[in-house]
Amino acid sequence: MSIFHNIAEVVSDAAYIWRQEMRQVFRDEGVLIFFIIVPLAYPLLYSWIYNNEVVREVPVVVVDDSHSALSRQFTRMCDASPDVRVLCHAADMDEAKSLVSRQLAKGIYHIPSEFDRNISRMQQTTIGVYCDMSLILTYKAIYQTAVAVSGTMGAGIQMKLSRPVTKREAEITVQPLAYDDVPVFSPGGGYGSAVLPAVLILILQQTLVLGIGLSAGTARENNRYHELIPIDRHYQGVFRIIGGKFLCYFMIYAVMGAYLTMVVPKIFSFPALAHWQDLLAMMLPYTMACIFFGMIVSCIVRYRENIMLLVVFVSLPLLFMTGVSWPQSSIPPFWQSISWLFPSTFGVRAYVRMNTMGATLNDVALEYRLLWVQTIFYCIVACLVYRHQIVISRRNALVRLDRIGRKLAVTEQLRRRKKK
Amino acid sequence: MEALKIIWQIAYREMLILWKNPIYGFCMVVFPVAVILFFTTLMDEGVPTELPVGVVDADNTSTSRSLVRRLDAFQSSRVVAHFPTAAEARHAMQRNEIYAFLYIPKGTTEKLMASRRPKISYYYSMVSVTSGALTMKDLKVISTLGSAAVGQATLRARGATDAQIQAFLQPIAIDLHQIANPWSNYNAYLSTVFVPGILMLFIFLLSAYSIGTELKFERSKEWIGMANGKMLLAMLGKFLPQTLIWLAIFFGYEYYIYGVLHFPHEGGAWQIIFLGLIGVLSSQGFGIFAFGLMPSLRMSMSVCSLWAVLSLSMAGSAFPIMGMDSPLQSLSWLFPLRHYYMVYQIAVFNGYPMLEAWFHLVALVCFALLPWLVIGKIKNAMLNYVYIP
Repeated sequence: MSIFHNIAEVVSDAAYIWRQEMRQVFRDEGVLIFFIIVPLAYPLLYSWIYNNEVVREVPVVVVDDSHSALSRQFTRMCDASPDVRVLCHAADMDEAKSLVSRQLAKGIYHIPSEFDRNISRMQQTTIGVYCDMSLILTYKAIYQTAVAVSGTMGAGIQMKLSRPVTKREAEITVQPLAYDDVPVFSPGGGYGSAVLPAVLILILQQTLVLGIGLSAGTARENNRYHELIPIDRHYQGVFRIIGGKFLCYFMIYAVMGAYLTMVVPKIFSFPALAHWQDLLAMMLPYTMACIFFGMIVSCIVRYRENIMLLVVFVSLPLLFMTGVSWPQSSIPPFWQSISWLFPSTFGVRAYVRMNTMGATLNDVALEYRLLWVQTIFYCIVACLVYRHQIVISRRNALVRLDRIGRKLAVTEQLRRRKKK
Repeated sequence: MEALKIIWQIAYREMLILWKNPIYGFCMVVFPVAVILFFTTLMDEGVPTELPVGVVDADNTSTSRSLVRRLDAFQSSRVVAHFPTAAEARHAMQRNEIYAFLYIPKGTTEKLMASRRPKISYYYSMVSVTSGALTMKDLKVISTLGSAAVGQATLRARGATDAQIQAFLQPIAIDLHQIANPWSNYNAYLSTVFVPGILMLFIFLLSAYSIGTELKFERSKEWIGMANGKMLLAMLGKFLPQTLIWLAIFFGYEYYIYGVLHFPHEGGAWQIIFLGLIGVLSSQGFGIFAFGLMPSLRMSMSVCSLWAVLSLSMAGSAFPIMGMDSPLQSLSWLFPLRHYYMVYQIAVFNGYPMLEAWFHLVALVCFALLPWLVIGKIKNAMLNYVYIP
């Protein structure tokens, strides 16, 4: 047998396994849910949830003990701000507190009785801000609005006191050093556009691992001897099995990956700054690493449903380890090193920086290389694990053959079936 | 008496099942404990500190350098690099080396001395939510302080007293009261919702799994037979050991965060214990209901996992429900975690009376009673269905 013949056989076996695997995927509704429906529907659902990006018009109660023109001005200005809405005036703090405890308001502005008097006396005056701290975003809205309004009113008071000649002089007195704050890359500063790109990439990995695990579980359960690798002429080498399965999953996820990284951001107009060449270069090793990773995980699964118990719950910790909500520089080293095991860590970091921050492939070179390292490493491990599975199923087959071999008649029958 | 005996027999059988299949040990004890430790240690700092920021100091005078030094001294920022141009600093942001940078243009000090109102800028990115908000806050304070320093020097030269200077520079001060969580500790926000969320995920999944596997391993007739066909006894016996284990995990978690880590809790021990109890029961109810609705192991587990993952967003702890579209606001009622979170924040976190959360308590009790609706269907499935892989 020539080497070419050998290669041709491997390729044709791989193609056979590819077809078998593809057929199995489309016949199994459990796998279909995770391969097709979840990647298609979840991004839309999440985009809908985070559609509004920021919280506006947080309700607050005002307790106005001052009853002065200035205190009313403060209330009016807060109400006019985009982030806060004055729900009502309360007679005293107790009434205000009961409104907060009934979840009708998220905070209290308390204007003390000496508010107006202190300003007239040229003394510093205070406004009490009481925030319900159960939600960070509403707390920020209430506090920042109070700071901004008091700053604006304070500037007005300063101007009156210093009696400037020109407008320019007034500006200089109030703020000798001007500043500009520029939110770059994601100017809306919304919650959705920060979290969603990471979720998209994570969905890719999680559904792949779930789908591969489910289909491996099914294969094992449908097998008479509960083995992953069937005894079959076509399933005789590691490379053809890995190659065949890989091609099947890669074919599906090339489409899904393109949908998640190119179409979804367009539909919901999230920032999409990456060049398609860079995106392609990054997604290639990411998808490959995820597939091999999924193949390794699938070997652990004994019953098909167990994969859900193993995989679903890690999604949230994985999201946190990418550094998208908790800063990467503050993740303890132990969890940092755990996070290196998962392709999603580098995939998310690279994708977010390219897509949202407009980085080039050069800027994410570290993540890019690590994705290739993971691909190669997981490919080798997957080969070893599958080799082990083949050895097991061969050994078990031999044991069975040996056991049955004593009964000649049965052996005859078995041989005939194998030839067929 | 007879009923108690039956329940005990089924519970004993269930305990053997839990002991023999290692997946239960992992999903009921090992993974939950790992998740609890993960979240509490990940955010151990409470508030992220020493976030790397950069500086583009084109002015390079003693004034600008003191500004930079002051920025470095802040708790949450650490100046890690100086860049010659803004373009390079932006590039460093794209390489993930810094989260933000301060740009001080040439001639800032000179203009400041000449009262020509120079302008400094800071650039930050909201791509990483927490770090963006924190660096922005620090940089804003720096700029305000820069202004105040100039004003202070001018006023002092004119002979004003400190009180006068303060009253002039900041006529209206804000006296902030952060009720219940004065440290604005992120760990107390995220670990108190996400950990119960993942525990609920496990409870959903295992409740459906434990009924479904009866069918799968062809033990269902034996199980119903032990209860003489009485579904109530069969269910009570089966879920009693699981409930006890879940309660132990949940109470252990609550003891760990409130007793050991001292997370803020205005509510007392009874509220906390009650919350743990109702959280476990409602999730079990949901899991059983999901199986009863679709008596197929695979479908019910898929639904449970998709639901549980969604509920982490729909709890409204990170992005509030009031900021979502109105259909979603009503949909959030369908998630046990949402009600759990509301009861938690009203009764435990803020310490308001339990009565204020009556709606959410009723909802949780309803979730716990949901299996009632499908118990007949489950019986039918157990006796007549065949597991299809």
